Amino acid sequence: MDRNDATRPVTVPSTQVLVTTRNAQRLLTPNATARRYLAAFRTPRGIVGGIILVLLVALALLAPVIFPGGYDQQGRGALAAPNLTHLFGTDELGRDILVRTVYGLRMDLSIIIVAVPISVVVGTALGLLGALSHFAGSFVQRVLDIILGFPGVVLGLCIVLIIGPGWTSLVIAIAITGLPVFGRQARASLLEQEQREYVTAARALGVSKRTILVRHILPNSVDPILVNAAVFVVAAIFIEAGLSIIGLGIQPPEPSLGTLLNVGMRFIEQSPMYILGPTLVLILLSMSFSLISDALNATVTRK
Amino acid sequence: MLKFLAKKIPSILLVLFATSIIAFLLPRMAPGDPAQAVAGSDATEEQVAAIRAAMGLDKSLFVQYLDWLGGFVRGDLGMSFVYNRPVSELILDRAESTIELALLASVFMIVLGIGLGVMGGAARSKTARVVADSVNTLLIAVPAFVVGLLLIILFGVVWRLLPVSGEVSLSEDFGIGFQYLLLPALALGLALAPGIARLLQTTMLATQGEDFVDLARAKGASPRRLTYRHVLRTSLGASIVAIGMRFGELFGGAIIIEAIFARNGLGQLIVQAVNSRDYLLVQVLIMAAVLIAVISQLLTEVVLAAMDPRIRLED
Repeated sequence: MDRNDATRPVTVPSTQVLVTTRNAQRLLTPNATARRYLAAFRTPRGIVGGIILVLLVALALLAPVIFPGGYDQQGRGALAAPNLTHLFGTDELGRDILVRTVYGLRMDLSIIIVAVPISVVVGTALGLLGALSHFAGSFVQRVLDIILGFPGVVLGLCIVLIIGPGWTSLVIAIAITGLPVFGRQARASLLEQEQREYVTAARALGVSKRTILVRHILPNSVDPILVNAAVFVVAAIFIEAGLSIIGLGIQPPEPSLGTLLNVGMRFIEQSPMYILGPTLVLILLSMSFSLISDALNATVTRK
Repeated sequence: MLKFLAKKIPSILLVLFATSIIAFLLPRMAPGDPAQAVAGSDATEEQVAAIRAAMGLDKSLFVQYLDWLGGFVRGDLGMSFVYNRPVSELILDRAESTIELALLASVFMIVLGIGLGVMGGAARSKTARVVADSVNTLLIAVPAFVVGLLLIILFGVVWRLLPVSGEVSLSEDFGIGFQYLLLPALALGLALAPGIARLLQTTMLATQGEDFVDLARAKGASPRRLTYRHVLRTSLGASIVAIGMRFGELFGGAIIIEAIFARNGLGQLIVQAVNSRDYLLVQVLIMAAVLIAVISQLLTEVVLAAMDPRIRLED
């Protein structure tokens, strides 16, 4: 933030007025942090990614309104090619694949919206633990190293082994996969910030470890963590689809993007168009987050 | 070098030790009794107890763990409950398929990754850069299994050029085996390539602003020589790290790719083992996956130091 309140002369009589008008302005215009983030959505990548994401989220939210019949409504023709009534064609039971894809998208978004924030918050907290206790900090890093040793799908397999396939195990698998990503990022920011002079100054002034962590280190670590969160959403989408495609994710008849590919794979000879619709939506979803993360990386991250 | 290994090995052993505990405990936290599953639903209690004793499951967890670890060190991986065969035999049977897939996939990954990266990093015209960027952005958003499914549709259904289901091992018939291997390996390699390309491109663009590049240009080096001799060579280190990090992913991705292309490799074995709660098989395969990831990480660091004299392994 470029405004430095400490240097403002306090003896000037009009200070009070000045401060109040400033506060009023602050309420109207977004503050510097919000502006930096909004700037990301003015870059070409941010615009394209943002528009795709908004459309997909709107579609998923409005699914019960647009398709009130639900995802399980069976029709006449099975495995039909795309046509005007069924834009993505129909599946083996004559259900509309577009409808199932939109409900599948809903499922994917519901997993992401729960799993990714959990992962970001817990991972960041674990990474910043080193600010309070040196020992706990390095211990946590060793644990994160162990998690990092597990390739994504293998970790998911372990979770499925314990609690069985389904929404919950996908959320847990995604959340745990992300822990080392955010934990290590937070740790890197922590180590970097701890070297800064303002932290030394705060420490010399007798500010407690906790206050330094919450007031100084955390705010300065937020930017790279948010960029990483957008990158990680792409990984989360792949984990859901990957586990579902080998039959260990969402179980049919409930649709998810991965489950649709799992079933569609079996009919790839008779009806290759089956998997194209869900594939398209999957790619659009992951591409929107990938573009947004690029845009955030370019505008938000301070070099 | 030796100093570096001596420093690294304790932490690797620590990771492996912790993994062995996790791999051992996880399957046992799963609901259900494997002895009951092996005995069948209409077995008497005595039969189930006899099977449990034969499997060693009546001992305490700690003794079971020590038994397993002791066997592991001696090279005895135990027996699979479900297949009723030694685990090591099951793994050796399937290993060739997965190793072939991983090797060819890593060739694709390295060639395509570095190729795409150089295209983006060396492009001088704006159009070329935008094209390389867009291809990369699209590929990053496409996971290996989607590439696989699209390749199946394209080459297996629409044009019917290559076999898309099943496998023939390379040692049996190299020509036909290679045809079976081509698409799954391409899918796996193509999906992992853009991460490498992205990193190489960023590093190359950053390197172009360095003083030594200006110096080379001032001395009259041609743009081609500048790109390959000066910029690319100093930027390769970053992509080697990226490649090394992805070897572990290669085996993770193989699990899904094998399912899509109906290949009978280790990935399929682990999925079957998870579905049938085959403890010993699952825990050995988890150990193997982590071991591969850890070793490739170590090799990466060694190769990196060999390439870049500024990095000293002793540090």
